Amino acid sequence: MPKVSLNTPAPDFTLQNFQGETVRLSDFHGKAHVLLVFNRTFV
Amino acid sequence: MAQLRQDYPEFVKRQAQVIVVGPEDAKAFEAYWQQHDLPFVGLPDPKASVLKLYGQEVNLFKLGRMPAQVIVDKVGMARFVHYGHSMSDIPENAEVLALLDQLNV
Repeated sequence: MPKVSLNTPAPDFTLQNFQGETVRLSDFHGKAHVLLVFNRTFV
Repeated sequence: MAQLRQDYPEFVKRQAQVIVVGPEDAKAFEAYWQQHDLPFVGLPDPKASVLKLYGQEVNLFKLGRMPAQVIVDKVGMARFVHYGHSMSDIPENAEVLALLDQLNV
């Protein structure tokens, strides 16, 4: 399974947030660092 | 998640946004966010497209996904990558915050 390597460009992605707005990882470039948290289920 | 919530102001101070990606649908996200009053960006990924892109490990025996954290800096480089090997294998916020401090130097 592919994994992200340190100090390489993080793969860009686009998803809708749960409010239905489009969120792109690259939207944050130049503005903020991003802590991506891949969560297991909420239960 | 509660720990992240508690330290959220520290992330903001370091110019970091917290984005949570999970396999649930939007409804489940909304309910969870309301219940816990979460300030994070919540991205439902029921098709697991991003989860697969980032290679989040799936533990077939436990039928659950392992937690993973990635810090992407302002220019889009991965500066911290942590793939959990168990459900509780999550880095301390202190470790993550120290790394963000380094990025802001």
